[in-house]
Amino acid sequence: MITPRSRRWVAPGRIGRGWIWFADGPGFPLLMLFPSLIVLGLVIGLPILRAIEMSFDTLNLRRPANNGETGLHNYLRLLADQRAWNALGLSALFMAGSVAGSVGLALAAALLTRRVTRGQALVRLTFLIPWTVPAVVTALVWGVMYDGNFGVVNRMLDSAGLGPGANWLIDRRTALWALLAAQVWNEFPMSFVFLLAGLMAIPTELYESARIDRAGPWSQFRFVTLPQLRPVLAITVVLSMIMGFKAFPIIFVLTGGGPNRATETLTVLTFTTAFRDLDFAYAATLGVLALVVSALMVTGYLRLVARLDDGREVT
Amino acid sequence: MTAIGTFLRWAAIALLATFALFPIYWMLVIAMTPTGFSRSLDGIWPTVFTTENFTRIFAERPMTRWILNSVIVAGLTSALSLLVGTSCGYALSRIRFRGAGALMLLLLVTQMMPATSIIVPLYILFARVGLLDTMQGMVIGHVSLVLPLAIWMSKGFFDRIPSDLDGAARIDGCTRLSAWWYVALPLAAPGLAAIFIYGFVTSWHDFLFAHTLVHTPSRWTAANGIVSFRGEYFTLHEMQMAAALVFAAPVIVIFVLMQRWIVEGALTGSVR
Repeated sequence: MITPRSRRWVAPGRIGRGWIWFADGPGFPLLMLFPSLIVLGLVIGLPILRAIEMSFDTLNLRRPANNGETGLHNYLRLLADQRAWNALGLSALFMAGSVAGSVGLALAAALLTRRVTRGQALVRLTFLIPWTVPAVVTALVWGVMYDGNFGVVNRMLDSAGLGPGANWLIDRRTALWALLAAQVWNEFPMSFVFLLAGLMAIPTELYESARIDRAGPWSQFRFVTLPQLRPVLAITVVLSMIMGFKAFPIIFVLTGGGPNRATETLTVLTFTTAFRDLDFAYAATLGVLALVVSALMVTGYLRLVARLDDGREVT
Repeated sequence: MTAIGTFLRWAAIALLATFALFPIYWMLVIAMTPTGFSRSLDGIWPTVFTTENFTRIFAERPMTRWILNSVIVAGLTSALSLLVGTSCGYALSRIRFRGAGALMLLLLVTQMMPATSIIVPLYILFARVGLLDTMQGMVIGHVSLVLPLAIWMSKGFFDRIPSDLDGAARIDGCTRLSAWWYVALPLAAPGLAAIFIYGFVTSWHDFLFAHTLVHTPSRWTAANGIVSFRGEYFTLHEMQMAAALVFAAPVIVIFVLMQRWIVEGALTGSVR
Protein backbone atom coordinates (compact mmCIF):
# COMPACT_ATOMS: atom_id res chain seq x y z
CA MET A 1 0.00 0.00 0.00
CA ILE A 2 1.41 3.36 -0.97
CA THR A 3 0.77 6.20 1.38
CA PRO A 4 1.36 9.77 0.29
CA ARG A 5 4.30 9.83 2.65
CA SER A 6 6.13 6.95 0.99
CA ARG A 7 5.28 8.29 -2.46
CA ARG A 8 7.21 11.39 -1.61
CA TRP A 9 10.26 9.21 -1.00
CA VAL A 10 9.96 7.44 -4.30
CA ALA A 11 9.38 10.52 -6.38
CA PRO A 12 12.46 12.64 -7.05
CA GLY A 13 11.32 15.50 -4.91
CA ARG A 14 13.37 18.41 -3.74
CA ILE A 15 15.06 16.50 -0.95
CA GLY A 16 16.00 13.65 -3.27
CA ARG A 17 17.37 15.95 -5.91
CA GLY A 18 19.36 17.82 -3.27
CA TRP A 19 20.90 14.57 -2.17
CA ILE A 20 21.85 13.67 -5.72
CA TRP A 21 23.40 17.11 -6.11
CA PHE A 22 25.76 16.10 -3.32
CA ALA A 23 26.19 12.42 -4.15
CA ASP A 24 26.67 12.68 -7.90
CA GLY A 25 26.66 16.30 -8.88
CA PRO A 26 28.62 19.48 -8.44
CA GLY A 27 28.17 19.23 -4.68
CA PHE A 28 30.24 16.07 -4.44
CA PRO A 29 33.61 17.71 -3.67
CA LEU A 30 31.88 19.77 -1.01
CA LEU A 31 30.40 16.67 0.57
CA MET A 32 33.76 14.91 0.59
CA LEU A 33 35.74 17.85 1.88
CA PHE A 34 33.25 19.17 4.37
CA PRO A 35 34.02 16.94 7.39
CA SER A 36 37.78 17.36 7.09
CA LEU A 37 37.63 21.09 6.54
CA ILE A 38 35.42 21.57 9.58
CA VAL A 39 37.66 19.46 11.82
CA LEU A 40 40.89 20.91 10.43
CA GLY A 41 39.51 24.38 10.92
CA LEU A 42 38.64 23.64 14.52
CA VAL A 43 41.75 21.76 15.64
CA ILE A 44 44.42 23.53 13.56
CA GLY A 45 43.03 26.64 11.86
CA LEU A 46 41.47 28.09 14.99
CA PRO A 47 44.56 27.58 17.20
CA ILE A 48 46.86 29.08 14.56
CA LEU A 49 44.61 32.12 14.16
CA ARG A 50 44.42 32.43 17.92
CA ALA A 51 48.23 32.23 18.14
CA ILE A 52 48.57 35.05 15.64
CA GLU A 53 46.00 37.07 17.54
CA MET A 54 47.74 36.36 20.84
CA SER A 55 51.07 37.49 19.42
CA PHE A 56 49.63 41.02 19.22
CA ASP A 57 48.15 40.77 22.68
CA THR A 58 49.46 40.69 26.25
CA LEU A 59 48.73 37.63 28.35
CA ASN A 60 51.16 37.09 31.19
CA LEU A 61 49.83 35.30 34.25
CA ARG A 62 52.90 36.23 36.27
CA ARG A 63 52.56 39.95 35.61
CA PRO A 64 48.91 40.47 34.71
CA ALA A 65 49.01 44.26 35.08
CA ASN A 66 49.33 44.93 31.34
CA ASN A 67 47.15 42.06 30.15
CA GLY A 68 44.92 43.01 27.29
CA GLU A 69 47.28 45.61 25.88
CA THR A 70 47.59 45.14 22.15
CA GLY A 71 50.24 46.13 19.66
CA LEU A 72 53.49 45.04 18.14
CA HIS A 73 55.32 44.89 21.46
CA ASN A 74 55.84 41.11 21.36
CA TYR A 75 57.56 41.35 18.01
CA LEU A 76 59.66 44.32 19.10
CA ARG A 77 60.65 42.36 22.18
CA LEU A 78 61.52 39.38 20.00
CA LEU A 79 63.94 41.47 17.95
CA ALA A 80 65.87 42.54 21.03
CA ASP A 81 65.56 39.26 22.93
CA GLN A 82 68.97 37.64 23.44
CA ARG A 83 67.30 34.51 24.72
CA ALA A 84 65.21 34.11 21.57
CA TRP A 85 68.19 34.65 19.29
CA ASN A 86 70.18 32.18 21.34
CA ALA A 87 67.32 29.69 20.92
CA LEU A 88 67.14 30.26 17.19
CA GLY A 89 70.89 29.76 16.89
CA LEU A 90 70.74 26.58 18.94
CA SER A 91 67.86 25.30 16.80
CA ALA A 92 69.99 25.95 13.72
CA LEU A 93 72.95 24.17 15.29
CA PHE A 94 70.75 21.28 16.38
CA MET A 95 69.29 21.03 12.87
CA ALA A 96 72.72 21.08 11.28
CA GLY A 97 74.01 18.50 13.71
CA SER A 98 71.09 16.16 13.28
CA VAL A 99 71.26 16.44 9.48
CA ALA A 100 74.99 15.75 9.40
CA GLY A 101 74.63 12.90 11.88
CA SER A 102 71.54 11.15 10.63
CA VAL A 103 72.02 11.62 6.91
CA GLY A 104 75.71 10.71 7.16
CA LEU A 105 75.00 7.62 9.17
CA ALA A 106 72.01 6.68 7.02
CA LEU A 107 74.05 7.08 3.84
CA ALA A 108 76.77 4.86 5.25
CA ALA A 109 74.21 2.28 6.32
CA ALA A 110 72.41 2.37 2.97
CA LEU A 111 75.63 2.05 0.95
CA LEU A 112 76.82 -0.79 3.14
CA THR A 113 73.63 -2.82 2.96
CA ARG A 114 72.38 -2.29 -0.56
CA ARG A 115 74.39 -5.13 -2.10
CA VAL A 116 74.24 -7.39 0.90
CA THR A 117 72.41 -10.54 -0.13
CA ARG A 118 72.69 -12.83 2.88
CA GLY A 119 70.68 -11.71 5.91
CA GLN A 120 69.64 -8.56 4.07
CA ALA A 121 66.20 -8.27 5.63
CA LEU A 122 67.60 -8.80 9.11
CA VAL A 123 70.31 -6.16 8.70
CA ARG A 124 67.82 -3.62 7.45
CA LEU A 125 65.40 -4.40 10.23
CA THR A 126 68.20 -3.80 12.71
CA PHE A 127 68.84 -0.32 11.36
CA LEU A 128 65.15 0.50 11.33
CA ILE A 129 64.41 -0.44 14.92
CA PRO A 130 65.41 2.85 16.63
CA TRP A 131 62.72 4.50 14.52
CA THR A 132 60.03 2.58 16.39
CA VAL A 133 61.24 3.79 19.77
CA PRO A 134 59.24 6.78 20.99
CA ALA A 135 61.19 10.01 21.50
CA VAL A 136 60.30 10.00 25.22
CA VAL A 137 61.72 6.53 25.66
CA THR A 138 64.80 7.51 23.65
CA ALA A 139 65.29 10.39 26.05
CA LEU A 140 64.89 8.19 29.13
CA VAL A 141 67.23 5.46 27.89
CA TRP A 142 69.96 7.87 26.83
CA GLY A 143 69.51 9.67 30.13
CA VAL A 144 70.25 6.44 31.96
CA MET A 145 73.24 5.75 29.71
CA TYR A 146 74.62 9.27 30.17
CA ASP A 147 74.38 9.20 33.96
CA GLY A 148 77.55 10.94 35.18
CA ASN A 149 78.31 8.54 37.99
CA PHE A 150 77.01 5.16 36.98
CA GLY A 151 76.13 5.55 33.30
CA VAL A 152 77.23 2.90 30.86
CA VAL A 153 78.78 5.48 28.51
CA ASN A 154 81.26 6.61 31.11
CA ARG A 155 81.90 3.06 32.24
CA MET A 156 82.70 1.95 28.68
CA LEU A 157 85.00 4.93 28.14
CA ASP A 158 86.66 4.10 31.41
CA SER A 159 87.28 0.47 30.55
CA ALA A 160 88.55 1.51 27.11
CA GLY A 161 91.10 3.67 28.87
CA LEU A 162 89.62 6.89 27.54
CA GLY A 163 89.54 8.64 30.85
CA PRO A 164 86.90 9.37 33.43
CA GLY A 165 84.25 10.48 30.92
CA ALA A 166 82.05 13.46 31.60
CA ASN A 167 78.86 14.60 33.17
CA TRP A 168 77.37 14.62 29.71
CA LEU A 169 74.07 16.37 30.29
CA ILE A 170 75.22 18.78 32.98
CA ASP A 171 78.41 20.00 31.33
CA ARG A 172 77.85 23.04 29.10
CA ARG A 173 80.39 21.81 26.58
CA THR A 174 78.91 18.35 26.05
CA ALA A 175 75.17 18.72 26.63
CA LEU A 176 74.15 19.67 23.08
CA TRP A 177 76.29 16.95 21.51
CA ALA A 178 74.92 14.38 23.90
CA LEU A 179 71.39 15.36 22.88
CA LEU A 180 72.36 15.21 19.22
CA ALA A 181 73.59 11.65 19.60
CA ALA A 182 70.21 10.62 21.01
CA GLN A 183 68.38 12.53 18.27
CA VAL A 184 70.52 10.97 15.54
CA TRP A 185 69.94 7.52 16.99
CA ASN A 186 66.19 8.07 16.90
CA GLU A 187 66.00 9.74 13.48
CA PHE A 188 68.61 8.19 11.19
CA PRO A 189 66.39 5.20 10.26
CA MET A 190 63.99 7.53 8.47
CA SER A 191 66.82 8.86 6.30
CA PHE A 192 68.03 5.30 5.84
CA VAL A 193 64.68 4.22 4.37
CA PHE A 194 64.66 7.09 1.89
CA LEU A 195 68.28 6.76 0.86
CA LEU A 196 68.06 3.00 0.47
CA ALA A 197 64.99 3.42 -1.74
CA GLY A 198 66.93 6.03 -3.69
CA LEU A 199 69.95 3.74 -4.14
CA MET A 200 67.79 0.84 -5.26
CA ALA A 201 66.28 3.03 -7.97
CA ILE A 202 69.67 3.66 -9.62
CA PRO A 203 69.83 1.50 -12.79
CA THR A 204 72.56 -1.14 -12.52
CA GLU A 205 73.54 -0.55 -16.15
CA LEU A 206 75.13 2.71 -15.06
CA TYR A 207 77.50 0.80 -12.80
CA GLU A 208 78.21 -1.76 -15.51
CA SER A 209 79.23 0.90 -17.96
CA ALA A 210 81.25 2.65 -15.27
CA ARG A 211 83.11 -0.59 -14.68
CA ILE A 212 83.73 -0.98 -18.38
CA ASP A 213 85.28 2.47 -18.23
CA ARG A 214 87.49 1.14 -15.43
CA ALA A 215 85.99 3.35 -12.76
CA GLY A 216 87.10 2.38 -9.26
CA PRO A 217 84.73 2.26 -6.28
CA TRP A 218 85.38 5.91 -5.44
CA SER A 219 84.78 7.18 -8.97
CA GLN A 220 81.68 5.02 -9.18
CA PHE A 221 80.41 6.67 -6.03
CA ARG A 222 81.46 10.12 -7.14
CA PHE A 223 80.20 9.97 -10.75
CA VAL A 224 77.32 7.52 -10.62
CA THR A 225 75.88 7.14 -7.15
CA LEU A 226 76.07 10.71 -5.95
CA PRO A 227 74.57 12.45 -9.00
CA GLN A 228 71.84 9.82 -9.27
CA LEU A 229 71.05 10.01 -5.59
CA ARG A 230 71.15 13.79 -5.34
CA PRO A 231 67.41 14.52 -5.59
CA VAL A 232 66.54 11.95 -2.93
CA LEU A 233 69.48 13.07 -0.84
CA ALA A 234 68.28 16.67 -0.95
CA ILE A 235 64.81 15.65 0.17
CA THR A 236 66.25 13.55 2.96
CA VAL A 237 68.35 16.47 4.14
CA VAL A 238 65.36 18.81 4.26
CA LEU A 239 63.16 16.25 6.03
CA SER A 240 65.92 15.62 8.53
CA MET A 241 66.27 19.38 9.07
CA ILE A 242 62.57 19.64 9.77
CA MET A 243 62.82 16.77 12.25
CA GLY A 244 65.69 18.51 14.00
CA PHE A 245 63.75 21.74 14.14
CA LYS A 246 60.71 19.97 15.62
CA ALA A 247 62.70 18.04 18.21
CA PHE A 248 61.18 18.52 21.61
CA PRO A 249 60.82 15.51 23.94
CA ILE A 250 64.47 14.48 23.75
CA ILE A 251 65.73 17.93 24.68
CA PHE A 252 62.98 18.73 27.14
CA VAL A 253 63.19 15.47 29.05
CA LEU A 254 66.98 15.20 29.10
CA THR A 255 68.05 18.77 29.88
CA GLY A 256 64.95 20.97 29.87
CA GLY A 257 67.02 23.51 27.94
CA GLY A 258 69.84 23.58 30.49
CA PRO A 259 72.58 23.77 31.63
CA ASN A 260 72.24 27.53 31.70
CA ARG A 261 70.32 27.60 28.38
CA ALA A 262 73.04 25.73 26.50
CA THR A 263 70.39 23.48 24.88
CA GLU A 264 67.39 25.81 24.86
CA THR A 265 66.18 25.49 21.26
CA LEU A 266 63.19 27.40 19.93
CA THR A 267 60.71 24.62 20.74
CA VAL A 268 61.95 24.32 24.31
CA LEU A 269 61.97 28.11 24.77
CA THR A 270 58.39 28.31 23.48
CA PHE A 271 57.27 25.69 25.95
CA THR A 272 59.17 27.24 28.87
CA THR A 273 57.91 30.74 28.10
CA ALA A 274 54.34 29.51 28.17
CA PHE A 275 54.27 26.95 30.94
CA ARG A 276 57.08 28.08 33.29
CA ASP A 277 57.09 31.87 32.83
CA LEU A 278 53.34 31.84 32.09
CA ASP A 279 53.84 34.49 29.41
CA PHE A 280 51.41 33.03 26.90
CA ALA A 281 51.33 35.94 24.48
CA TYR A 282 55.08 35.97 24.00
CA ALA A 283 55.13 32.17 23.74
CA ALA A 284 52.53 32.42 20.98
CA THR A 285 54.82 34.90 19.23
CA LEU A 286 57.69 32.43 19.40
CA GLY A 287 55.30 29.80 18.06
CA VAL A 288 54.44 32.02 15.11
CA LEU A 289 58.15 32.47 14.44
CA ALA A 290 58.59 28.68 14.42
CA LEU A 291 55.62 28.40 12.07
CA VAL A 292 57.19 30.84 9.63
CA VAL A 293 60.49 28.96 9.72
CA SER A 294 58.76 25.63 9.05
CA ALA A 295 56.70 27.12 6.23
CA LEU A 296 59.95 28.25 4.59
CA MET A 297 61.45 24.78 4.97
CA VAL A 298 58.32 23.12 3.57
CA THR A 299 58.49 25.42 0.55
CA GLY A 300 62.07 24.28 -0.03
CA TYR A 301 61.00 20.68 0.39
CA LEU A 302 58.20 21.01 -2.15
CA ARG A 303 60.54 22.56 -4.69
CA LEU A 304 62.84 19.59 -4.31
CA VAL A 305 59.99 17.09 -4.63
CA ALA A 306 58.72 18.87 -7.74
CA ARG A 307 62.19 18.71 -9.27
CA LEU A 308 62.38 14.99 -8.45
CA ASP A 309 59.06 14.39 -10.18
CA ASP A 310 60.22 16.34 -13.24
CA GLY A 311 63.35 14.21 -13.36
CA ARG A 312 61.25 11.07 -13.27
CA GLU A 313 59.10 12.18 -16.14
CA VAL A 314 62.16 12.81 -18.30
CA THR A 315 63.75 9.41 -17.69
CA MET B 1 90.91 -7.43 -1.87
CA THR B 2 87.38 -8.78 -2.00
CA ALA B 3 87.84 -10.85 1.16
CA ILE B 4 89.18 -7.85 3.06
CA GLY B 5 86.47 -5.68 1.56
CA THR B 6 83.76 -8.08 2.67
CA PHE B 7 85.26 -8.27 6.11
CA LEU B 8 85.46 -4.48 6.42
CA ARG B 9 81.92 -4.13 5.17
CA TRP B 10 80.59 -6.55 7.74
CA ALA B 11 82.68 -4.94 10.48
CA ALA B 12 81.14 -1.56 9.62
CA ILE B 13 77.66 -3.09 9.51
CA ALA B 14 78.24 -4.69 12.88
CA LEU B 15 79.38 -1.37 14.33
CA LEU B 16 76.28 0.41 13.05
CA ALA B 17 74.05 -2.41 14.24
CA THR B 18 75.59 -2.14 17.70
CA PHE B 19 74.86 1.56 17.74
CA ALA B 20 71.28 0.90 16.65
CA LEU B 21 70.59 -1.89 19.10
CA PHE B 22 72.65 -1.11 22.17
CA PRO B 23 70.26 1.42 23.78
CA ILE B 24 67.41 -1.10 23.46
CA TYR B 25 69.58 -3.86 24.89
CA TRP B 26 70.58 -1.57 27.74
CA MET B 27 66.95 -0.72 28.47
CA LEU B 28 66.30 -4.46 28.79
CA VAL B 29 69.31 -5.01 31.05
CA ILE B 30 68.44 -2.18 33.42
CA ALA B 31 64.77 -3.13 33.46
CA MET B 32 65.72 -6.61 34.66
CA THR B 33 68.25 -5.53 37.27
CA PRO B 34 66.97 -5.63 40.86
CA THR B 35 65.62 -2.24 41.93
CA GLY B 36 68.44 0.04 43.07
CA PHE B 37 71.25 -2.17 41.77
CA SER B 38 71.87 -0.73 38.31
CA ARG B 39 74.31 1.69 39.88
CA SER B 40 76.53 -1.14 40.95
CA LEU B 41 76.41 -3.03 37.64
CA ASP B 42 79.77 -4.12 36.37
CA GLY B 43 80.50 -4.40 32.66
CA ILE B 44 77.76 -4.56 30.10
CA TRP B 45 76.54 -8.11 30.63
CA PRO B 46 73.68 -8.75 33.00
CA THR B 47 74.38 -11.13 35.86
CA VAL B 48 71.09 -11.28 37.70
CA PHE B 49 67.58 -11.22 36.34
CA THR B 50 64.45 -10.14 38.05
CA THR B 51 60.94 -9.28 36.99
CA GLU B 52 60.42 -7.32 40.18
CA ASN B 53 60.49 -3.94 38.39
CA PHE B 54 57.69 -4.97 36.08
CA THR B 55 55.44 -6.10 38.90
CA ARG B 56 56.31 -2.98 40.89
CA ILE B 57 55.42 -0.49 38.17
CA PHE B 58 51.98 -2.06 37.90
CA ALA B 59 51.53 -2.40 41.66
CA GLU B 60 52.92 0.93 42.87
CA ARG B 61 51.98 3.19 39.99
CA PRO B 62 48.77 3.39 37.95
CA MET B 63 50.58 1.93 34.95
CA THR B 64 47.54 -0.12 33.88
CA ARG B 65 45.36 3.00 33.97
CA TRP B 66 47.93 4.97 31.95
CA ILE B 67 48.20 2.30 29.29
CA LEU B 68 44.43 2.01 29.10
CA ASN B 69 44.20 5.80 28.72
CA SER B 70 46.77 5.66 25.93
CA VAL B 71 44.82 2.92 24.15
CA ILE B 72 41.57 4.87 24.43
CA VAL B 73 43.06 8.17 23.31
CA ALA B 74 45.10 6.66 20.48
CA GLY B 75 42.22 4.46 19.30
CA LEU B 76 39.70 7.32 19.27
CA THR B 77 42.16 9.75 17.69
CA SER B 78 43.07 7.41 14.90
CA ALA B 79 39.51 6.22 14.24
CA LEU B 80 38.18 9.78 14.12
CA SER B 81 40.97 10.97 11.84
CA LEU B 82 40.41 8.04 9.51
CA LEU B 83 36.65 8.56 9.47
CA VAL B 84 36.98 12.23 8.62
CA GLY B 85 40.17 12.14 6.57
CA THR B 86 39.62 9.43 3.95
CA SER B 87 36.87 11.30 2.10
CA CYS B 88 39.14 14.34 1.91
CA GLY B 89 42.03 12.18 0.69
CA TYR B 90 39.76 10.75 -2.03
CA ALA B 91 38.65 14.21 -3.10
CA LEU B 92 42.26 15.37 -3.32
CA SER B 93 43.16 12.27 -5.33
CA ARG B 94 40.26 12.27 -7.83
CA ILE B 95 38.74 15.69 -8.13
CA ARG B 96 40.30 18.82 -9.50
CA PHE B 97 39.00 21.72 -7.50
CA ARG B 98 40.18 25.19 -6.79
CA GLY B 99 42.32 25.41 -3.69
CA ALA B 100 43.44 21.78 -3.78
CA GLY B 101 47.09 22.78 -4.04
CA ALA B 102 46.74 25.29 -1.23
CA LEU B 103 45.04 22.69 0.94
CA MET B 104 47.85 20.17 0.35
CA LEU B 105 50.43 22.81 1.18
CA LEU B 106 48.62 23.77 4.38
CA LEU B 107 48.38 20.12 5.39
CA LEU B 108 52.08 19.65 4.84
CA VAL B 109 52.99 22.77 6.81
CA THR B 110 50.82 21.74 9.74
CA GLN B 111 52.41 18.33 9.69
CA MET B 112 55.90 19.75 9.65
CA MET B 113 55.59 22.60 12.11
CA PRO B 114 56.72 22.05 15.67
CA ALA B 115 53.79 21.01 17.85
CA THR B 116 54.95 23.59 20.39
CA SER B 117 53.58 26.26 18.02
CA ILE B 118 50.07 24.95 18.36
CA ILE B 119 50.11 23.89 21.99
CA VAL B 120 50.12 27.42 23.42
CA PRO B 121 46.93 28.67 21.70
CA LEU B 122 45.33 25.24 22.12
CA TYR B 123 45.96 25.41 25.86
CA ILE B 124 44.35 28.85 26.08
CA LEU B 125 41.37 27.76 23.96
CA PHE B 126 40.92 24.57 25.98
CA ALA B 127 41.08 26.54 29.23
CA ARG B 128 38.20 28.67 28.04
CA VAL B 129 35.91 25.82 26.96
CA GLY B 130 36.78 23.48 29.83
CA LEU B 131 38.66 20.88 27.80
CA LEU B 132 41.85 21.10 29.86
CA ASP B 133 42.61 18.03 31.91
CA THR B 134 40.13 15.86 30.00
CA MET B 135 40.64 12.88 27.73
CA GLN B 136 38.35 14.47 25.14
CA GLY B 137 40.77 17.38 25.01
CA MET B 138 43.68 14.99 24.48
CA VAL B 139 41.84 13.32 21.60
CA ILE B 140 41.09 16.69 19.99
CA GLY B 141 44.72 17.74 20.40
CA HIS B 142 45.96 14.52 18.88
CA VAL B 143 43.56 14.77 15.94
CA SER B 144 45.45 17.95 15.02
CA LEU B 145 48.58 15.78 14.72
CA VAL B 146 47.03 12.77 13.01
CA LEU B 147 44.37 14.15 10.66
CA PRO B 148 46.79 15.90 8.23
CA LEU B 149 48.77 12.67 8.12
CA ALA B 150 45.63 10.61 7.50
CA ILE B 151 44.49 12.85 4.65
CA TRP B 152 47.92 12.96 3.05
CA MET B 153 48.43 9.20 3.30
CA SER B 154 44.94 8.26 2.11
CA LYS B 155 45.41 10.50 -0.91
CA GLY B 156 48.55 8.48 -1.63
CA PHE B 157 46.68 5.19 -1.38
CA PHE B 158 43.75 6.35 -3.54
CA ASP B 159 46.25 7.62 -6.13
CA ARG B 160 47.42 4.04 -6.56
CA ILE B 161 43.94 2.67 -7.28
CA PRO B 162 43.24 3.07 -11.01
CA SER B 163 40.48 5.61 -11.47
CA ASP B 164 39.07 3.44 -14.27
CA LEU B 165 37.61 1.25 -11.55
CA ASP B 166 35.44 4.00 -10.09
CA GLY B 167 34.68 5.07 -13.66
CA ALA B 168 33.40 1.59 -14.48
CA ALA B 169 31.25 1.63 -11.37
CA ARG B 170 29.72 4.91 -12.45
CA ILE B 171 28.90 3.56 -15.90
CA ASP B 172 27.11 0.74 -14.10
CA GLY B 173 24.92 3.33 -12.45
CA CYS B 174 26.76 4.17 -9.25
CA THR B 175 26.73 7.71 -8.01
CA ARG B 176 30.14 9.24 -7.36
CA LEU B 177 29.48 8.77 -3.68
CA SER B 178 28.71 5.07 -3.97
CA ALA B 179 31.61 4.57 -6.38
CA TRP B 180 33.83 5.83 -3.60
CA TRP B 181 32.08 3.90 -0.89
CA TYR B 182 31.63 0.55 -2.65
CA VAL B 183 34.63 0.46 -4.98
CA ALA B 184 37.52 2.70 -4.00
CA LEU B 185 37.22 2.41 -0.24
CA PRO B 186 37.27 -1.41 -0.05
CA LEU B 187 40.22 -1.47 -2.47
CA ALA B 188 42.08 0.94 -0.24
CA ALA B 189 41.33 -1.11 2.88
CA PRO B 190 44.92 -2.31 3.49
CA GLY B 191 46.09 1.26 3.15
CA LEU B 192 43.43 2.46 5.55
CA ALA B 193 44.59 -0.13 8.07
CA ALA B 194 48.13 1.19 7.70
CA ILE B 195 46.87 4.74 8.27
CA PHE B 196 45.02 3.60 11.36
CA ILE B 197 48.18 2.04 12.76
CA TYR B 198 50.22 5.12 11.89
CA GLY B 199 47.74 7.41 13.57
CA PHE B 200 47.52 5.16 16.59
CA VAL B 201 51.29 5.10 16.99
CA THR B 202 51.60 8.87 16.51
CA SER B 203 49.09 9.47 19.26
CA TRP B 204 50.56 6.74 21.47
CA HIS B 205 54.05 8.25 21.20
CA ASP B 206 53.07 11.88 21.70
CA PHE B 207 54.62 13.47 24.75
CA LEU B 208 54.01 17.22 24.37
CA PHE B 209 50.20 17.17 24.41
CA ALA B 210 50.18 14.45 27.04
CA HIS B 211 52.44 16.51 29.27
CA THR B 212 50.62 19.80 28.76
CA LEU B 213 46.91 19.23 28.40
CA VAL B 214 46.28 16.80 31.27
CA HIS B 215 47.37 17.29 34.89
CA THR B 216 45.54 14.68 36.93
CA PRO B 217 47.72 11.54 37.15
CA SER B 218 44.76 9.20 36.70
CA ARG B 219 44.09 10.81 33.30
CA TRP B 220 47.67 10.75 32.08
CA THR B 221 48.57 8.72 29.06
CA ALA B 222 51.52 6.36 29.35
CA ALA B 223 53.92 8.70 27.52
CA ASN B 224 53.65 11.15 30.37
CA GLY B 225 53.38 8.43 33.02
CA ILE B 226 56.74 6.88 32.25
CA VAL B 227 58.51 10.24 32.59
CA SER B 228 57.08 10.66 36.07
CA PHE B 229 59.43 7.99 37.40
CA ARG B 230 62.08 10.65 37.29
CA GLY B 231 62.41 12.37 40.63
CA GLU B 232 63.84 15.80 41.27
CA TYR B 233 66.94 14.44 42.98
CA PHE B 234 66.79 10.73 42.58
CA THR B 235 65.50 8.44 39.85
CA LEU B 236 64.78 4.76 40.07
CA HIS B 237 66.40 3.82 36.79
CA GLU B 238 65.28 0.21 36.94
CA MET B 239 61.57 0.91 37.30
CA GLN B 240 61.79 3.73 34.79
CA MET B 241 63.38 1.44 32.20
CA ALA B 242 60.82 -1.28 32.89
CA ALA B 243 58.02 1.23 32.32
CA ALA B 244 59.69 2.59 29.19
CA LEU B 245 60.03 -0.94 27.86
CA VAL B 246 56.39 -1.78 28.51
CA PHE B 247 55.45 1.44 26.73
CA ALA B 248 57.73 0.97 23.71
CA ALA B 249 57.50 -2.80 23.21
CA PRO B 250 54.09 -3.08 21.49
CA VAL B 251 55.10 -0.70 18.73
CA ILE B 252 58.48 -2.36 18.24
CA VAL B 253 56.79 -5.76 17.96
CA ILE B 254 54.13 -4.53 15.55
CA PHE B 255 56.82 -2.93 13.44
CA VAL B 256 58.97 -6.03 13.29
CA LEU B 257 55.94 -8.11 12.26
CA MET B 258 54.75 -5.71 9.58
CA GLN B 259 57.96 -4.06 8.51
CA ARG B 260 57.52 -3.97 4.77
CA TRP B 261 53.99 -2.69 4.91
CA ILE B 262 54.75 0.16 7.27
CA VAL B 263 57.88 1.34 5.49
CA GLU B 264 55.89 1.49 2.29
CA GLY B 265 53.22 3.53 4.01
CA ALA B 266 55.82 5.98 5.25
CA LEU B 267 57.19 6.43 1.76
CA THR B 268 53.71 7.00 0.36
CA GLY B 269 53.35 9.92 2.69
CA SER B 270 56.38 11.79 1.53
CA VAL B 271 58.76 10.87 -1.23
CA ARG B 272 56.38 9.22 -3.63
